[in-house]
Amino acid sequence: MTYKANSVIYFQGDVSDRIYILKAGRVSLNSNDIETGEAVRDYIQTGEFFGVKSALGKYPREENAVALSDSHVVVFSVPEFEQLALSNTRIVMKMLNVFSNQLRRLHAKVRGLLAEGEQVNPELGLYRIGEYYMKKKEYDKALYAFQKYLTYYPSGAYHQDANKLAQQAEQFVSKYGIGQGPGLGNGGAGGAAGGGGSEAGSGGLGGGSSEGGERNAQLGPVAKQYYAAVSSFSQGNYSEAMKQFKTIVDTSEDREYVVKSMFEIGRCLYSLGRYDDCIRHFTALVQRYPKMPDLDEALFYLGQSYEENGDQERAGGFYKKILSRSGVSEPLKRKVNNALRGLEGA
Amino acid sequence: MELNLDAFERFAVHFNKGSIIFCEYEPGDAFYLIQAGRVQISKIMGEIEKTIDILHPGEIFGEMAILEEAPRSANAICLDPVKALEFNRANFEILMRGNPQIALKLLKLFTKRIYDQRRRFMILTLDDTHAKVADVFLMLDESQSGAKPESAERVFYTTPGDIGHWAGISPELSREVLTQFQTQRRIEIYTDRIVVKNINEFARFVNSRRKKRDET
Repeated sequence: MTYKANSVIYFQGDVSDRIYILKAGRVSLNSNDIETGEAVRDYIQTGEFFGVKSALGKYPREENAVALSDSHVVVFSVPEFEQLALSNTRIVMKMLNVFSNQLRRLHAKVRGLLAEGEQVNPELGLYRIGEYYMKKKEYDKALYAFQKYLTYYPSGAYHQDANKLAQQAEQFVSKYGIGQGPGLGNGGAGGAAGGGGSEAGSGGLGGGSSEGGERNAQLGPVAKQYYAAVSSFSQGNYSEAMKQFKTIVDTSEDREYVVKSMFEIGRCLYSLGRYDDCIRHFTALVQRYPKMPDLDEALFYLGQSYEENGDQERAGGFYKKILSRSGVSEPLKRKVNNALRGLEGA
Repeated sequence: MELNLDAFERFAVHFNKGSIIFCEYEPGDAFYLIQAGRVQISKIMGEIEKTIDILHPGEIFGEMAILEEAPRSANAICLDPVKALEFNRANFEILMRGNPQIALKLLKLFTKRIYDQRRRFMILTLDDTHAKVADVFLMLDESQSGAKPESAERVFYTTPGDIGHWAGISPELSREVLTQFQTQRRIEIYTDRIVVKNINEFARFVNSRRKKRDET
């Protein structure tokens, strides 16, 4: 189709499913900047598409398209464009690039405007999601959020609370089931203690701002040691954490904390990059306590350690073993699947 | 358009019913194409969890992660056992080259997102709070697809809190503005809905504010 100089190809506000390529001539897209209201002119290069977004998105044209000189354009309907796109991926890839850049810029602008008002810092946001689900007694979801929190903010401002609530969520889900039990808050502490919970003083969030030290005062001595060690680990002090966990293993008679601490020692070894030691440690642990609660995780660390050592075959073996087990947590399954995929890709 | 996805089986992930695929504020590095089951997109606002959308097989979600590793803006939760293909920036290009249908789908999704974001931006750049709130109603009206009714009255199943969210103002301020509109008999507020008596009047009001800004 040919347009004479100064003729309009389409008007702002038009709704149409036509997509154009400029073959020859000069075309300008005229609009007003949405931020400043200033007039903006975009010149189309020959060979370039225009009118794509509004046609594909079925919304009104955002600009006037004007031929500046006699211009020749090829017109497509949306279905015709789709046919063309399917046989020529490069067009789509290029457009995806352009669109994603536009979208990113728009996002940044919108975020900028919201900056004063409603923005929540993501760290606190994530923690609050956990709290919300805890309150709603959806312990599995709470556990997910707290675990994510601890993964991304291991030494974050709320890591101690997140750690504790994650453990509580894990207990509650098996003890009471989803939608049952104490949820979050004062009832939480009472419920856990009253049910003969092994966690001494799971203080709930009632006094959210209470100092770590104050809270630890309610804990039994072993639990206190254990949380101190977990805290060192969260802060990346793996050697210190390992020492603390070892002290528990050597001195405590509380079997639950001993097993937990042994598991954590394996994680410390892994985090310290001592993969051979990690493999030895977890292998022994798994043989000694085949029914330990964190068995799946232990198998995962074994797989990871083998992978780090370049033994992909053994690593894959462990990953597959985890997937063949029942009751594996969803986040772990995803990690394992990712790891397996990584092995395939390598 | 039948999608041939057999080659992408290795990207498949499975989730149990009720489990979280990702939650709001979590850093995101993957996006998903649903193959089986429904996914609920929700946001926690104060003491309630609001469903934003329910997605079905063939639909894509989490796509913003391809652009930047920004925190997720909503929760994705499985309403059924869900099977999805999981992609990240690293394998994204392979996917796009091998499967132009998905690329095209994503392209369309981006056009919609660009429009939505532009629209949101236009609301936020109005400097008058009343105009912002009125413009939110116009946006909601535009997104209600299908034939427009003859009369200028419109019913929106929304709350002052939601309106405030879109207008970028606090729920309290939103409520205040809406109450003033109600006193002026421009709207009626119910627990589950807000009725705008004359949507054209709001359109004129917003346009005049926007013009005033463009002229100064």
